[in-house]
Amino acid sequence: MNATRLIRPAAPLLVVLPALVFLPVLLSLPGQIHGGGWDLIGQFAWAALTPSLDPLVLQSLLNGLAVTIGMALLGWALSLVLGLGLGLVSSRLLWRTLTGTALPADLIRRLLALPRSIHELIWGLLLLQLIGQRPAVAVVAIALPYGALVARVLSDLLDALPTANLAGLRAAGAPAPAALLTALGPPLLPGVVSYGGYRLECALRSATLLGVFGLGGLGNELLLTLQSLEFHELWSGLWLLLAVMLSLETVIGILRRRWSMPGRFGLAGERSGGGSVGRRGREILLTLTLLLPTLVVVARALAVDPSTLLHWQPLPPLAPQGWATALALPWPRLVADTLVLTLLAAGLAVGGAPLLLLLVAPWPWGRRLLQLLWALGRLWPPPLTALLLLFVLQPGVVAAALALGFHNLGILGRLLLEGSEAAGPEVEQGLLCGGSGPRLALLYGRFSGLARSYLAYGAYRADVILRETVVVGLVAGSGLGSQLRESLSAFAWDQLALLLAVYALLTLVGEDLSDRGRQRLLGTA
Amino acid sequence: MTTPKSLFALLRRERPAAVLAGLSLAVLPAAIPLASTPAALQLLPAAQAQSQNSRVLRISAIPDQKPEKLNRLYGLVANELSKQLKVQVRYVPVTDYGAAVSAFRTGDLDLVWFGGLTGVQARLQKPGARVLAQRDIDASFHTIFIANARSGIKPITSVQGLNQLKGKRFTFGSESSTSGRLMPQYFLSQAGVKLNDFAGGAPGFSGSHDATIALVQSGAYDAGAVNEQVWRASLHDGKANRNKVMAIWKTPGYPDYHWIAQGNLDKRFGAGFTNRLQNAILSWRPQDPEQKQILSLFGAQQFTTATPAAYTRIEQVGRQIGKIR
Repeated sequence: MNATRLIRPAAPLLVVLPALVFLPVLLSLPGQIHGGGWDLIGQFAWAALTPSLDPLVLQSLLNGLAVTIGMALLGWALSLVLGLGLGLVSSRLLWRTLTGTALPADLIRRLLALPRSIHELIWGLLLLQLIGQRPAVAVVAIALPYGALVARVLSDLLDALPTANLAGLRAAGAPAPAALLTALGPPLLPGVVSYGGYRLECALRSATLLGVFGLGGLGNELLLTLQSLEFHELWSGLWLLLAVMLSLETVIGILRRRWSMPGRFGLAGERSGGGSVGRRGREILLTLTLLLPTLVVVARALAVDPSTLLHWQPLPPLAPQGWATALALPWPRLVADTLVLTLLAAGLAVGGAPLLLLLVAPWPWGRRLLQLLWALGRLWPPPLTALLLLFVLQPGVVAAALALGFHNLGILGRLLLEGSEAAGPEVEQGLLCGGSGPRLALLYGRFSGLARSYLAYGAYRADVILRETVVVGLVAGSGLGSQLRESLSAFAWDQLALLLAVYALLTLVGEDLSDRGRQRLLGTA
Repeated sequence: MTTPKSLFALLRRERPAAVLAGLSLAVLPAAIPLASTPAALQLLPAAQAQSQNSRVLRISAIPDQKPEKLNRLYGLVANELSKQLKVQVRYVPVTDYGAAVSAFRTGDLDLVWFGGLTGVQARLQKPGARVLAQRDIDASFHTIFIANARSGIKPITSVQGLNQLKGKRFTFGSESSTSGRLMPQYFLSQAGVKLNDFAGGAPGFSGSHDATIALVQSGAYDAGAVNEQVWRASLHDGKANRNKVMAIWKTPGYPDYHWIAQGNLDKRFGAGFTNRLQNAILSWRPQDPEQKQILSLFGAQQFTTATPAAYTRIEQVGRQIGKIR
């Protein structure tokens, strides 16, 4: 404790500290590279410039894309409905105002930690076993963990709101429900809408990923074209997906600014337009009313039938010595691999973003190139990246960490860039005029102010990465994910149950640690 | 950096445009599915399985080859069966070996072309299911071990020779494949090669036989194990280049692929339907032009009857490897 107080790194250094993880990864790379498939990597890169324009291919990709977008939209909408309801009932403030005790809120919060701790892919694969191959599976798989996440964010937002207005209304004799709505509704709205928009971006990524594992949509076509090494067709799909993702992000960004919603990690400085409140309300209402019929149409087009969710199928029978075999799995190694994978990937992603921005700072086109690279990182489901890496790398933790790190680098990099642009150019310009180099000006002018909130977000991201390890583990053969694949294909329910329990435990502990880390980072700012 | 701000300003002035931008969020995703609704449905096999009526025979197959080929082949099979049995037959593609087993268990598929291992898994999970037929080549099917020409791996004459694969990069096909995983792993273990003896501490799982051949040919993996029939087909149509990838060993024979039907077909389609279905499959001959096309895509001369007893050996190996419990 004392030591950490004494050697506290300066804020600008803090940002690039996680990048230290590049050292072990780079050092171990020469031993990992087998280089057998450099030809393939070359063909893959060349195909980016020459995607297939065959109308048949495009037709089938567009169909897949439509299914993916539809699944994302439905899963997202359902998760918002779930999240709003559950968020309200897990708010301490609400319970205290209505009943005088906050105990039920704490209980519900604990319960909600469970659906949240399990990745949507696992939900999808489990539901696939329980209710068979139905379009509703992917939608519910996205909605369950997302709903629990939205609920948590919403109740945190609610409980963090200043309560003076509420107390005033209550003191004046307003009944509790009316007072709650009037006092807390308006200040809650911007946060909810902003976060909701961000979840839609996430839902598109999740739907693509679920597709890779056969739950419908473009993801499966991406996987099949990659497996059969048809890179031209693969790139047609990737470019289409990129276009959709970037336009979605742009539209959400425009709406967020237009409606003066807060940015992603509350990096201040957003000027709210004075008299926009009435207009904003109207527009949000209009968007919502348009969204509803859209959802109905999409649900019909995808043949999503909620009633199928009620027809549960019996699971295959358990083996007599199943539990003994399940307990005999190499648990310590699996868990250790998973943790190492998480730390490496988180370090690569959190440290990589500022490091790369600093590296390209002197060149005007560098940032644009980086933005494109990051967009691709966000876009590519990590298992596809892992498969590509296996062309030239040995399977294992390093390949998995690179794939997972690349994906999250895309997400974190974009946030860092948004944050640093919102922070305003004044200090950086001042440093530049004072004669410091572009890299130092960027580091001290922009990053140092952002350091703590960025790292706090990084801590949250590390928790997400822990959950995501399952996704690359399935491909790159490391950690709990690789065992999950084997257990699934053997229909070993006992092993699956244990794996899920271990995963849930790990992510709950991880969430707690990342929360503490975040509070410390933000608290000492 | 000024772009978003100026766009923002523009939007404030141009109110109709801004509203349009707002609407596009809601409308954009909807417009695409609307434009291609029927085709989107085609892509979602589950949607087809779901809109079943009990008079539609839903057939499927484990996805061991490229989807284009599967679509062509099973489209033909559906037509032929429909013509012979006078019932509606629909091919429902699945994306994963395990998903085929699950969909059979959940009753979403009526007749499935399973591999040896997946067939045993399916019958254990769905008691009453019936083994209908196998190809002439399935009674004694073979796996071919292949190697990249630059890998330094030499052709071998006995199972013991497989131990030269220790320390090499090796890939199986799908993890539930009989010829691409189960039997090769069995023969590897006879030669004393464990899964963690491969480079990187684990084998790869390419997903399908085509993928295994492509990956070994490219050098991404030194060696792999593929289904003999797919290997021959790849050599024949030039997909496999003999200068880059070569066969190093052909395994002894074992029973593999077979058709399995649900046990309740007679109840749903009328007494004796399962036998009629079996006889229809067994009746296909190369003399009929359409049946010839089907048989040649299956790589067979004709189908023969099969019994569950033929697959007890697969079941034993499956249990040994932990894929059947």
